[in-house]
Amino acid sequence: MNLDVLSIGLQTALLLLLAPLITGCIRNWKAKLQNRRGPRVWQPYFDLIKFLRKDMVISEHASWVFSAAPYIVFITALLVGLMVPMVTVQAPLSLFGGVLAVVGLLALGRFFMALGGLDPASTFGGMGSSREMTIAAIAEPALMLAIFTVAITVGSTDFSHIVATAQQPGWNLFNPAHLMAFAALFVVLLAETGRIPIDNPSTHLELTMIHEAMLLEYSGRYLALMEWGASIKQLVLMTILVNIFLPTGLAADWSATSLGLGMAVFLGKILLLSAAVVLVETANAKLRLFRVPDLLSAAFVLAAMALLSTFLFH
Amino acid sequence: MNNTLSIEVGSQIIMLLAALMLVIQLLLVVQQMLLTNVRLFALQSLMLSAIATVVAYYYNATHIYIVAVLTLVGKVIFLPWLLNRIVRRINIVQEIEPLFSAPTSMLICGGLTLLSYLVARPFTTLHKLGNNTLAIAIALLLTGFFLMINRRKAITQVLALLTIENGVMLAAVALTTYGMPLVVELGIFFDVMVAVMVLGILVYRIRETFASMDTGKLDQLKG
Repeated sequence: MNLDVLSIGLQTALLLLLAPLITGCIRNWKAKLQNRRGPRVWQPYFDLIKFLRKDMVISEHASWVFSAAPYIVFITALLVGLMVPMVTVQAPLSLFGGVLAVVGLLALGRFFMALGGLDPASTFGGMGSSREMTIAAIAEPALMLAIFTVAITVGSTDFSHIVATAQQPGWNLFNPAHLMAFAALFVVLLAETGRIPIDNPSTHLELTMIHEAMLLEYSGRYLALMEWGASIKQLVLMTILVNIFLPTGLAADWSATSLGLGMAVFLGKILLLSAAVVLVETANAKLRLFRVPDLLSAAFVLAAMALLSTFLFH
Repeated sequence: MNNTLSIEVGSQIIMLLAALMLVIQLLLVVQQMLLTNVRLFALQSLMLSAIATVVAYYYNATHIYIVAVLTLVGKVIFLPWLLNRIVRRINIVQEIEPLFSAPTSMLICGGLTLLSYLVARPFTTLHKLGNNTLAIAIALLLTGFFLMINRRKAITQVLALLTIENGVMLAAVALTTYGMPLVVELGIFFDVMVAVMVLGILVYRIRETFASMDTGKLDQLKG
């Protein structure tokens, strides 16, 4: 019990502190790759501190939903983060449903973010919300099918169980079904975190923005919570991607060596995945909005086929 | 013991490469640019060549090595080069105009893959190297037919024919224990090679006569 509190505390701290760093790393590397100097790696921390200290301007048309949304977005992201194994095999929180709860909580956060965009009656917010929901409607089934592919091979929807089984010898790392699921999940990651082929995270251009459009009316503390929540969600999705499909190195016990090793391996994997995201962002142009469903349906069919092949290659 | 282990590993490698072939086929279905399509086909043929190499290594079969080299030279280097040249020479619009939209065709191909898995299911219990590739070979065949129907331009139909041939070769190499007799494989191979060259010239003529490669317009040939 004591250890539980400790592990929850540790993972919360890790989520809170690491998430902005990953966002900063991606921004910095992307700038470097495009021959710009770019913001420093820890710029997101300064941004968050500054937002937290600023006053808020709230539209007079906004209702309580507008103020509740940032907290719900932030807390759901954090809660999902606690249910996914990051450094240790055992996730601090595995209460109910495993994968289903994770997808459900992510959906809840997204729902309230969309409501927060709609609530102040700004045109751009509504547009962003409608786009976000359109994309989510295709990305979410792909996310579920891709995770279920692994869950079926393991025989459990509990993340800790999945990771523990995947670490055992005899686990086929290069199972074609898992590779397909990994590819599908990578596309979903790009969609869910608003990365370039789908959305541009660094623009406020009216016609193209999706995620930014919903945050347009937010300022001060609420904006900080929204941004922080978004980067935590990004970190959590990346963690799911690397730890489910490549669970090597996760700490099985609480000794200092295995924890340190787990931490180092985890950081390495996440940074590698960030580098992949940076490469994709630099090498591709943003898709037209009407082309986005093409890409996402490809991810969906890929995930469906992955699920199909688990039955075949059994 | 050691031998069974390595057979296991070989089977996994073949499975992986075959699955990659299927993924590339699906990318071909959604990809809109003609030249990228040609490159994807080259990549798919490279996978096929690698599968042939693995099979040849495990069965110690020299003639399958020949198939692998022929695939590498013919389908990874020569045919893509030829198709590239045709595309550049006739200066056509890069964009393919499929009949169905990308999501629809993606779903149809998913359905076709499901169908081929169902059809191949009775054969997957056989204990042999790469026995699971039958489903993928059938899927390549069916989606290749679909690609052919879905696209109007002559040159993309040639590409579809080539992917069908890839599917047939996959079944021939990975499924039968020692591959087909070399003569048969050589026959298939040069058949396709010549077919593509003839089709290349034909495409050029169609383009000259009709100022378009849309095969839908060929029904106006009446004098």
